[in-house]
Amino acid sequence: MIFQPQTDHGTPASTAAEMVTVFIDGRSMRVPAGTSVMRAASENGTSIPKLCATDSLESFGSCRLCLVEIDGVRGTPASCTTPVAEGMVVHTQTPHLQILRKGVMELYISDHPLDCLTCPANGDCELQDQAGAVGLREVRYGAGETHLGQAKDTSNPYFDFDPSKCIACSRCVRACDEVQGTFALTIAGRGFESKVSAGLASEDFFGSECVSCGACVQACPTATLVEKAVVEIGTPERAVVTTCAYCGVGCTFRAEMRGEQLVRMVPWKDGKANHGHSCVKGRFAWGYATHRERITKPMIRAHIDQPWREVSWDEALAHTVAEFARIGAKYGKHALGGITSSRCTNEETFLVQKLVRAGFGNNNVDTCARVCHSPTGYGLKTTFGTSAGTQDFDSVMAADVILVIGANPTDGHPVFASRIKKRLRQGAKLIVIDPRRIDLVRMPHIEAAQHLPLRPGTNVAVLTAMAHVIVTEGLADEEFVRARCDWDEFADWAAFVADPKRSPEATEMLTRVPAADLRAAARLFATGGNGAIYYGLGVTEHSQGSSTVMAIANLAMATGNIGRPGVGVNPLRGQNNVQGACDMGSFPHELSGYRHISDAGARSLFEADWGVRLDPEPGLRIPNMLDAAVDGVFKGLYVQGEDILQSDPNTRHVAAGLAAMECVVVHDLFLNETANYAHVFLPGSTFLEKNGTFTNAERRIQPVRKVMTPLSGLEDWQVTQGLANAMGLDWHYTHPGEIMDEIARLTPSFAGVSFARLDAAGSLQWPVDAAHPDGSPIMHIDGFVRGRGKFVITDYVPTDEKTGPRFPLLLTTGRILSQYNVGAQTRRTENSRWHSEDLLEIHPIDAEDRGLKNHDWARLVSRSGETALRITITDRVAPGVVYTTFHHPATQANVITTEFSDWATNCPEYKVTAVQVTPSNGPSDWQQRYQAQSDRARRVDPVPAE
Amino acid sequence: MNTTDQLVLMANQIARNLAIHGDDTATAETAAHIKAFWDPYMLRQIAPMLAAGGNGLSPVARAALERLCIA
Amino acid sequence: MKARVSDDALALACGADAVAAALAAAGVAVDRVSSWGMHWLEPLVEIDGNGWGPVTPADVPALVAGLLAEKAIGRIEDNPFITRQARLTFARAGRTRPLSLDDYAATGGWNGLAAARALEASATTETVVQSGLRGRGGAGFPAGIKWQTVAAAPGARKYIVCNADEGDSGTFADRMVMEGDPYLLIEGMAIAGLAVGASKGFVYIRSEYPHAIAKLQAAVALSADIVAPFDIEVRVGAGAYVCGEETSLLNSLEGKRGEVRAKPPLPAHKGLFGQPTVINNVLTLAAVPFILAHGAKAYADFGMGRSRGTIPVQLAGNIRHGGLFETAFGITLGELVNDIGGGSESGRQVRAVQVGGPLGAYFPPALFDTPFDYEAFAAADGLIGHGGIVVFDDSVDMARQARFAMAFCAIESCGKCTPCRLGSTRGVETLDRINAGDNRAANLALVEALCDTMKFGSLCALGGFTPYPVLSAIRHFGEDFQSPARERAA
Repeated sequence: MIFQPQTDHGTPASTAAEMVTVFIDGRSMRVPAGTSVMRAASENGTSIPKLCATDSLESFGSCRLCLVEIDGVRGTPASCTTPVAEGMVVHTQTPHLQILRKGVMELYISDHPLDCLTCPANGDCELQDQAGAVGLREVRYGAGETHLGQAKDTSNPYFDFDPSKCIACSRCVRACDEVQGTFALTIAGRGFESKVSAGLASEDFFGSECVSCGACVQACPTATLVEKAVVEIGTPERAVVTTCAYCGVGCTFRAEMRGEQLVRMVPWKDGKANHGHSCVKGRFAWGYATHRERITKPMIRAHIDQPWREVSWDEALAHTVAEFARIGAKYGKHALGGITSSRCTNEETFLVQKLVRAGFGNNNVDTCARVCHSPTGYGLKTTFGTSAGTQDFDSVMAADVILVIGANPTDGHPVFASRIKKRLRQGAKLIVIDPRRIDLVRMPHIEAAQHLPLRPGTNVAVLTAMAHVIVTEGLADEEFVRARCDWDEFADWAAFVADPKRSPEATEMLTRVPAADLRAAARLFATGGNGAIYYGLGVTEHSQGSSTVMAIANLAMATGNIGRPGVGVNPLRGQNNVQGACDMGSFPHELSGYRHISDAGARSLFEADWGVRLDPEPGLRIPNMLDAAVDGVFKGLYVQGEDILQSDPNTRHVAAGLAAMECVVVHDLFLNETANYAHVFLPGSTFLEKNGTFTNAERRIQPVRKVMTPLSGLEDWQVTQGLANAMGLDWHYTHPGEIMDEIARLTPSFAGVSFARLDAAGSLQWPVDAAHPDGSPIMHIDGFVRGRGKFVITDYVPTDEKTGPRFPLLLTTGRILSQYNVGAQTRRTENSRWHSEDLLEIHPIDAEDRGLKNHDWARLVSRSGETALRITITDRVAPGVVYTTFHHPATQANVITTEFSDWATNCPEYKVTAVQVTPSNGPSDWQQRYQAQSDRARRVDPVPAE
Repeated sequence: MNTTDQLVLMANQIARNLAIHGDDTATAETAAHIKAFWDPYMLRQIAPMLAAGGNGLSPVARAALERLCIA
Repeated sequence: MKARVSDDALALACGADAVAAALAAAGVAVDRVSSWGMHWLEPLVEIDGNGWGPVTPADVPALVAGLLAEKAIGRIEDNPFITRQARLTFARAGRTRPLSLDDYAATGGWNGLAAARALEASATTETVVQSGLRGRGGAGFPAGIKWQTVAAAPGARKYIVCNADEGDSGTFADRMVMEGDPYLLIEGMAIAGLAVGASKGFVYIRSEYPHAIAKLQAAVALSADIVAPFDIEVRVGAGAYVCGEETSLLNSLEGKRGEVRAKPPLPAHKGLFGQPTVINNVLTLAAVPFILAHGAKAYADFGMGRSRGTIPVQLAGNIRHGGLFETAFGITLGELVNDIGGGSESGRQVRAVQVGGPLGAYFPPALFDTPFDYEAFAAADGLIGHGGIVVFDDSVDMARQARFAMAFCAIESCGKCTPCRLGSTRGVETLDRINAGDNRAANLALVEALCDTMKFGSLCALGGFTPYPVLSAIRHFGEDFQSPARERAA
C-alpha cells in the first residue's frame, strides 16, 4: 500500500453560518462565507497546488503556488488568502497560472537538494508532489547561491532538522506559535538569508525553548523536520487511528505502521479532543512499548525473596486461581481484592471489577483514581448529580475568564493547555490559583490577570473568600440560582460565605493571598463574561479535596457558569482513562454509572445479567486494603496496570501491607516497584496491542485499536477472562466490543454506546442515551442531572499536617511535561533527557538559610520518612514551600508523604507534607538499600534448557 | 499508626468537616457517610474501642459510629 | 538685520549650521526656518525676502556688507522654480519656523482641524472622497474610501498610522514635511482620527531621519493639547526598506518581525493589533488640512483625469535644479526634467530617468511626453510611486542598473514569499551571466520569465515592482545587454 497522509484542505474550515455560492472552474458550489478559495476548491475535489498552506494553520500566502485568476479581480490572487464571495468566478488552471506555478517551483528547486531517492521524505514530501503537480521539467538557473550542505541539527532525540531542505514556508514557526503556543521558533535573517531558527543562533533544538510537541514536524512539508524513526525505518505503509495512553486529554493519533513496526504516531486531525495536536509524550514517547525491559512471559514465585520463574499462561493462571482459592478458604472471601487501572481500557477495567464482585464475591475493588480524582466524583455527584466534568474541551474557546486552580496544564495536559493558550491570546482573562508560579502565569503573549499564590492546604478558604466577595458585593447570578438551584440551600450558603470572618481580609494571614488580589480575581470571575474553571490534583489531593471540589461547584453555580459553552467545572484528569475507570464501577461502593452498591435496583440488574448474588455493602478502598493486610486479614490482591508502591502515599506503609499478603498478582508491562512484592507476574499489553476504549476528561469515549500483536500473546482483557474462566466463571467474550455491549446494557449513561457507533462517529461523550442519542458535549444544559443544583457549605478545616520546628516547610508535588506519573513509560524513552531526575524546588531564602547551593544534594525529611534529591533554587515557589515531582523511583518522593487524606474519599493529601530540608552528600541509606532490594527482587531464573 | 487509630482519625475528620451543620445534622451525615463508604470490616475493627468508650473519638464521630454499630 | 536659514537636514548637510553661526558671529539675528526646497541653492540665506545661495561661511562678511551679488537670486518667492509650483501641501516651505505654534497658527494652521470638528465624521470622509485625494505612498488608492472603510469597520479601537518610512531613492518630501511643517502632519492625523473614530495615532519614521524624528517628537509634545484627545506616538524603524510596505510596517509597529502580511484582510479591516487602521503616507495626511480648510473642490480643481490635486515631485540624481516641486498632476516628465530641473548636473545628455523609487521604471527621453498621472504612467509600464525622479546622464550602464534593482530587492526582501526571496537572488545571478556574456539570449529570456513570476507572484510591491526597472531597462536600453559589461565600459 502507498502511504496516504490525511487530506489537507489548506486552510481551516470557516465556522460562518452564512453560505455563499462560488463558481470554480465552471462548477458551482456552496460553502460557508469566509472559506478560502483554496478550501472551497479542495472540498469540492479540486486541489490547487500549495506549499505554505495547511489546514491546521491560518493562511499565510508566502509560497505563491496557489495563485488563481478571479473574474473582475486584478492580477493573480493567492487562493489561500482570498475568501470566497457570492458569485465569485474562479479559474484555477489557466496558461498563465501554469507558467507562474512552474516559475515559482523552478525557484524552489533551484535551492533544493535533488536527493529524492535517498531522502527520508521520499513519497511523503509535498515539495516533491507539487513539483509533479505543476509539471516542472527543468531548472534553468545555473549554479548559484544555495542553502545546501548546511549541518543538520540532530540534537532533539526524536526528530532531525535539516536546514538544507528547508523551503522557508514558516509552517513550523506558525505551528509553534498558533497551534502549540510556545513561540520557540522564528525565521532569522531576511530575504535569501531567511532561515528557521530555534531561538538564538547559538542554540540547537534541544537547548531551545522547544517543548518537542511535534507540531513543527507535523507541519513541515519536506524532510527538513522529520522523525528520526522515519529516517531510520522509512515511510509507513498503513495507518490505524487510535487513542493516546498518556494523560486525560485523550488525543487521537494515526499509528503509522510498517508491518508490525510502529514508525510514528501522528496526531489525527479529526480527533475531537486534540484537533491534530500532540505533546512530546503521545507523539514521541512510545518506545517503551517495545522496550527490552518489557516482560512478555508469565512468571511466578513462591516467595518474594526468590527469583522469578517463567511459566506458561495456563500454569500462571491456574497457580493464581489456586492461590486465591487457598486464601479464600483459609481467611474468607473478604481477604481478596483487586485494583483496576486508569491506564487500561474501559472494557478491561469493567472485567476486573466484575471479577472481584462476581468472582471473588466481595466489593474489594478500587482504582488508582482513589489517589487522584476520587474527590471529583464525590464532589460533583453531590452538587450537580454527575461525577464528571461539565464541558467538552472545545468549550474553552468560548470562555472569557479562565480560572485554573491546582493544575499545571502546560506540563500535565499540554495539548489542552495549547487550546487554553490560544483562547488567552484571543483575549480571554486568566486567573491562576496555585502555590507555585506555573508557566501559564506568564508565557509568550500570555499573562495571568491574577495569580493567587496560596499557602498549600488553604484552597477551601480561598474559594470561600472569593464566594464572600461575590455574595457581599452583589455579584451572584440570582436569576440563574433561582431558576436552577435550591434557593434555600443557596441562601444558607450565601449567609455562610458572607460572614466577615470568611472575607479575603480576614483569611489573608491564613491563605497568604493578598486580599486585594483575591477581591480582584473574584470580581473578574463574576463579571468577566463566561467563566470556566479548570482544576487538577492541586484541588483533590488534600484533606479537603472533596470540599474544594464542592466549593468550586458552588462558585460556578453562584455565578451562573453552568450549562452552556464557555463555562463549567472541568477536572483535568491525570491519566488517559481516569474518567472511564471511575465510570466502570471501579470504586468499592459503586457499580458502573455511579450507582451505589446498596441500590437494590441497580444491583439486581447486574445480578440478573451475571447470574450471581452481589454483596450489598461497600468493600475496602486501597488504603484500607493495606491496613487490613497489615492487620493480617487481607491476603490476596490482583493489581492491573498500577504501581501502588511508587504512586501511593507513605511508601513504607504500602510496602508493609504488600509484604503481609500471601498472593500479590501484578499484571503490568514491566517489573514495577509493586512487583518487588508480587508472587505472580502477568505480562500486560500496551495500548498498541489491544482493542477497547478510553474515556477522556470530557467524558469522550474513544476507540483504542490494536496495531500490533501483543508481545505476551494476550490482550489484558483476555488475561482477566482467563483468570475468571480458571475460577469457573462462564465468560466467553471474543472481542472487547462484546464487553462494551454488556456495559451499555447495564449502564444507563452508556446505553447508546457500541463499537459500531464509535467507529462511525469517531467518539461519543456520555451520557449517550435516548435523551442524548449522539452524546452530551455539555451537561446540565436545561437542568442539573440531580434536579436542582445543590449548594454545599464547605467549612475550611485546616489539615492535621502542620509545620513546626522539626518540619518547617510545606512540600507539594506535581509533574513535568516530559515525564508521566511514576515514569514507567516515559523513563524508558528519550524523554528522560529532559528530566533525568526529580529535583526539589526551593525558594532562595530557604536555600540560603540552609547553606544550600543550586544542584546541591539535599535531605528531605517528613515524619513518614526521608529521601535525598538535588535542589533547584527558584522563586517559582514561595518561601516556606518546596516542590518536587514523583516520576523517578530512585527519589521515592512518596516515602515522604503521609497517611493523611481527603475526609470524604481518602484521596491522599499528596499536596501538603510538612518537611525539613538539610544538606546531604547523596542518596539516603534508605534509597541505597531499596535499590539493592529492588534489584534482588527482579531476578528472573534462566529458562532451563530443554 | 495501627488500623484502629487510622479509623478514629478518619471518623473524626469526617465529623469535623460536617460540624458546621450543627451536632445533630453532623452526626446524621457522618453516620450516613460512613455507612455509604466504609467496608463493614472497618466498622467491626472500630467496634471494640467504641464499646470501650471510644476514647479519642470526637463526640459527633462517636455518636455517628454508635448509631451504625448498634444498628 | 535679520536672516533666515533653513534647519532642514539637506541644508544642514550643505553647511547651514556653519553659515548660521557665521551670521550670528557677524551680529546678524538668525531665524531657522524650513527649506524652500531649492536644493541647489542650499544653504540659502534669506534677508527681507531676498535670497542668496549657496552661501558658505566665507561668504558671510560679503553678504552682510551687501557685496555677494554673484549669489543673489532676488526675491525668493518670485523665483521661477517657486512661481511655477502649486504649493498646497508645501505652502509654508521656507516661510515658517517649523516648531513655532505661532507661525503655524498665523499661516492658517489648525483651520482644517477646526473645520473637521465642526463637521459630522461622515462629512469629513465625504469631503476627502470628493477631493479626489489618492494615497501618495505609491499605490494611489483613494484616501477617502479607505477612511470610510475604517469608519464603517467594527473594532474595539481604531488607529491612524502614518507611514513615514520614506525609503525610495531620490525622495525627501515626507522628510521635508516632518522637519519643516510637522504640525501639518499632526493636524492631518488628528482630522483622520476624528473622521474614522480613532483616538490614537502612530508615526513610523525610518531611523535614518534623526532630524525628522526629533522635530516631530517635539511637535507632538507641543501640540498635544491642541489635538487632544487624539494622541500621537512617534515610533522609529530599524532600517528595513520593506517596512515601508504597509503590512510590514504594522508588524514592525507591533514589535514583530517586519514581514509582509497577505491581504486580505486589509489593514482597514484588520490592521494594527488586529484593529481597523488607516495607514496613510505623510503626504496624504499632510494634504488633508488644506482640503478641510478650503473644501474638496479647491483641491480637486488641480490635476488631471483621476489624479486630482497636487503632487510634490522630488527632483534628484544627476539634475541641475534638484528639489521639491509641488505641482498639479498633468505636467510632463520632460518639463520636469528639462524645463524645471534644467537637465543634468553634469551637463551631459540625459539618458534615463527613474520615476517612483528603486522599483520604478526607467524612462528614456523618447517617453518624456508622458504626463505625470497615475494612469498615464501605468499605461507606459511605469509608476509614479512617491513622486521621486532620479536623473541619469549618458554614462549610465543600464544593465548594471537592472542588476542593481534585483540586488536591491535581494537585500531588502523580507523573505516571506518565494518569488522575491529566491527570485531576486536568481535575478542577480542571471543578470551577472548576461553581463559576462554567458548564453545571453537564453538568460535574457529567463530574466523576462523570472520578472513575470515576480510581478504576478510576489506578495507585495517589493518583489512585484522589481521587474519594472529591470524590464524597462531591457526594453528601452536593450543595447546595454548585448555586450559584456567590460566591453561597454571600454
